[in-house]
Amino acid sequence: MEMLHYDFMQRAFFAGGLIALVASVLGVYLMLRRQALMADMLSHVSLAGVALGALIKVNPSLFGFIIALIGAVVVEFVRRSYKTYSEVSIAIIMIGGLSTALVLMSMNPGTNRSFSSYLFGSVVAVQKTEIYLVAGVALLGALFFYGLRKPLYLITFDEETARTNGVPVNLISLLFSVITGMIVAAAMPIVGVLLVSSLIVLPAALAIRLAQGFTAALGLAMLFGLIGVFSGLTASYELSTPPGGTIALTLLLFLVVGIGIKKFAVKWRKQHSKLKEKSALINPIYREEV
Amino acid sequence: MLLASMKNVVFGYGDSPCLEDVDIEIHNGEFVAVTGPNGASKTTLLKLSLGLLQPWSGTVARASKRADGKKLVVGYVPQQIAAFNSGFPSTVLEFVLSGTYARGKWFKPASGEDRELSEQALKQVGMWELRNRMIGELSGGQKQRICIARALAQQPDLLVLDEPSNGMDTDSRSRLYALLGGLVKERDMTVVMVTHSLSEASPYLDRIIELEKKEAGGWKCCTTTSCKGHFSPVV
Repeated sequence: MEMLHYDFMQRAFFAGGLIALVASVLGVYLMLRRQALMADMLSHVSLAGVALGALIKVNPSLFGFIIALIGAVVVEFVRRSYKTYSEVSIAIIMIGGLSTALVLMSMNPGTNRSFSSYLFGSVVAVQKTEIYLVAGVALLGALFFYGLRKPLYLITFDEETARTNGVPVNLISLLFSVITGMIVAAAMPIVGVLLVSSLIVLPAALAIRLAQGFTAALGLAMLFGLIGVFSGLTASYELSTPPGGTIALTLLLFLVVGIGIKKFAVKWRKQHSKLKEKSALINPIYREEV
Repeated sequence: MLLASMKNVVFGYGDSPCLEDVDIEIHNGEFVAVTGPNGASKTTLLKLSLGLLQPWSGTVARASKRADGKKLVVGYVPQQIAAFNSGFPSTVLEFVLSGTYARGKWFKPASGEDRELSEQALKQVGMWELRNRMIGELSGGQKQRICIARALAQQPDLLVLDEPSNGMDTDSRSRLYALLGGLVKERDMTVVMVTHSLSEASPYLDRIIELEKKEAGGWKCCTTTSCKGHFSPVV
């Protein structure tokens, strides 16, 4: 644990752990609402904010955060127009955000190199102000997901039934989008724009496949997210590989291995129950012959 | 007590109306069936009555409070709701327990009373033994039953069901109608149900609202038929 003697690694573990917990829970809801690509979309849109900030020489990270929030709100309104195909709204906003980012970046060629830290993340370079931002977002996210877990369950299962049950569906969906935007913006320094959805989608995808219940899915997603980020950071330190990519690859490995184990367990259980049935059939005959 | 009413309601999708001249009143303690051929806008009629759709013209009114002044609780079981969410990672008990969430108390954990209501509802539809199964592992008929259990766990004053017996065998259908009929009688619950199985439901029904095709323009309008145990199928 030599790496934990370094301040930058302590900050990386702290920020990564907090974001992993809240992003994994967000991922479960996004997947079940068929909005798994929303994190990807918001991170790409926020790049437009970063590019704008760099162009007008005002804090690019802050602009990225604000644009992610605006994008989250806009996507919620577009989603309401395409209820059956909610992924269409994601595609529309992503195209708008990314194309704006590209045009703005072309107007400011001198700063293109600094975009690499936004694209690929730099968790070990996380500063104190970013730690406070991550902690604040994680606290808000935890309050939102715990406090509104009941209406969120109803809305995620079926919005119409939730509406007839008196749940303010539009308001909670809007808040959900804002929280999504905040989590995505806070997660960007950890894994970067290109891989931010790995923190959100991969732990949730594995948890949903393995969990025996909704609460279990949320708990497992948090566990996988936390272990994935910590293992990825450790591997990155030991192997001197980029932290964002290493975390994403670790989470992907967890998903592949987890699904493989689940498939093997299901196959084994089926074979085992078939053997039991066979022996139950054979044994009485065998006894009669004896 | 009048729970819901529609007066001169017109509604349609796109440019042409699919429902016209709709005049309906639903009173407390009634068991009402809505029937009509496929595409007759039965589901649209239910959604209008629940406020999920807004009419082009006419008025839709629904009581917000019961006769004793308490909030009117509305339960809704949409058509084939379970079929669209088979991958939802939830156990049967978690799912039915979510019916009690509509009773408020969002920030508190599920109470003993909530769990009792869920247990009772699952037993009423004969699904208590499967409470720990994942909802995606159930058959179509079983999914439909847990959706009804979830609505019952709410202890609704007004229960609106859209083809609740879809995927159920004859025996399950008969038991469902008997259960709903019993709840109307014992708890003074009001039930509005879209169904095609009128002959099985008729012993328990108070009224049938039938959607008919209008001669001019192919629009539909409503007629109501009194019914209690002596229903003869409409041709």
